[in-house]
Amino acid sequence: MKKFLFAAFVAFWSAVVVLVVLDALVPAREVKGARETREPISEAVVKRHDNREDCWLIIEGAVYDITGYIPEHPAPDFVLTSWCGMDATEGMRTKGYGRNHSDAAWAKLEEYRIGELEGAGG
Amino acid sequence: MKRHRAIILTWLVGLFPALAAVIAVPWDQVAGVPAALNFLGRLTGIGGLGLMLAAAALSCRVPGFDKPFGGLTKLWQLHHWLGAAAFFLLLAHPLLLSLGNAHLSLDAAVATLLPPLASGAVWLGWLALLLTMGFMASSFSFFGKPRYQRWKWLHRSSGLAIMLALAHTFYLGRTIAAPWSTLIWYALAGLAVASLGYRFAFSRFWGRRRYRVQAIMEPATDAVELALKPLDRPLHYSPGQFVYLTPLDRALAAGYGEEHPYTLSSAPEEPVLRIAVKSLGDASRALQHIAVGSQVSVEGPYGNFFPETEEAGTTELWIAGGIGITPFLGRLRHLSNRDEPVNIHLVYCVQDRSRALFIEELEELAQNIRGFKLSMHYFYREGPLTGDFLRQCCPDLAERQAYICGPIPLLALARRDLLAAGLPGHAITTEEFELP
Repeated sequence: MKKFLFAAFVAFWSAVVVLVVLDALVPAREVKGARETREPISEAVVKRHDNREDCWLIIEGAVYDITGYIPEHPAPDFVLTSWCGMDATEGMRTKGYGRNHSDAAWAKLEEYRIGELEGAGG
Repeated sequence: MKRHRAIILTWLVGLFPALAAVIAVPWDQVAGVPAALNFLGRLTGIGGLGLMLAAAALSCRVPGFDKPFGGLTKLWQLHHWLGAAAFFLLLAHPLLLSLGNAHLSLDAAVATLLPPLASGAVWLGWLALLLTMGFMASSFSFFGKPRYQRWKWLHRSSGLAIMLALAHTFYLGRTIAAPWSTLIWYALAGLAVASLGYRFAFSRFWGRRRYRVQAIMEPATDAVELALKPLDRPLHYSPGQFVYLTPLDRALAAGYGEEHPYTLSSAPEEPVLRIAVKSLGDASRALQHIAVGSQVSVEGPYGNFFPETEEAGTTELWIAGGIGITPFLGRLRHLSNRDEPVNIHLVYCVQDRSRALFIEELEELAQNIRGFKLSMHYFYREGPLTGDFLRQCCPDLAERQAYICGPIPLLALARRDLLAAGLPGHAITTEEFELP
């Protein structure tokens, strides 16, 4: 058991080091805000993207196209898709039971940002 | 069988959050390699923390709680295995989550593993894992075997690691829906807190009994037997059980105020508690010179070496190695006081006669107790214990219940010989003085 755990311990750090070194060597791809538009998006436009195959959300005055993310979300689809085309700030802030999403989740959300909401200011 | 039930129940309690997670997640959510890796990543985290909490709950050391598990040493073994499994799962947890995002980009995989500092909850998890590595490294002797007290101090960081891991889980946990996740973690954490609360608050201040060193005997070179007189409530125990002894003699060269486990060598009906201590480490060496009249505190009793019900006429084979004679001595002194016939054969293994502890008393007991036979095995003369030697001195050994206590190599050797001689595994009971 001791040998097995020691091997696992060494393997863990080897994997971490390999991942970090590879990440440093491989040139990064631009992801964040790649699709962001300059023009503000109106609520009416967002409303048209209201289904599983084409799902936009308004969260705190910004617009996100999360269509590609739905399969990755930990909770079942309908938790997200019921907000498609709407202001989902509440869902993001409360998960439906008063618990905010993690910082990691908020950071991830930014990858799907496509623009500002019209009239949201700044 | 009772022992297996207790062990299975403990594993189920530890794995309960992971089982709940498996039930909570719809299977179509984990279709595809990335989703499956992500789910396994979360599952290993949940499983690891659950097992850590179960291991913590086992460390309460309430006298009697260890009996269903077959004694405290067996309970520590289970604790050790739970810890090992938890550690393995917790090592896999961040790597699997990271690999689960590798299909997005290498960046995403590494960012999952090592996110920006603002993702505090992830770093709480890292801190918990690093602390866990710290104390696990000492428990599993990654970098050599640490000294007992040092290991004990390091092991205390497990409490902090668990708290950080719980905070990490409360922040990020989303696999099991609320309120179930909260309920499950609170219940398990409550169990662990109650158990550690007993251990570090209740037992420390109310669970220990004061004794005074009344006399010191020397049963062999490098060993003493302390006779302890109770200063308040005397301890109730069965023959062969052990206690944690804390010497309170400030003049000791080492081990003042440190607790160490020692087997009771007295019979339960004696007015004094007797503890035989062989000089094996710093603390036990210093104990050889403890002052008569000084105080000690005693916590226990623990262990479940001999069965609770002593049936007259049970046929038993005892194999003792070195200081491993102590539980047998306690039982022999008890049997001698009861003056009932028995059918017990003791094979006592030592290097040579000069190292045999309590040899005169044992020979005397062999004269006095009807049906008790003593055979000596001298390593320097006969080499390692063999099945032939056992069969020669005890031809009907396959019909006996066997009890073995001594150093781990002897336990392994004796167990192998007995199994080869046709004794079924369930008829063999062992008591280890240290974890393998």
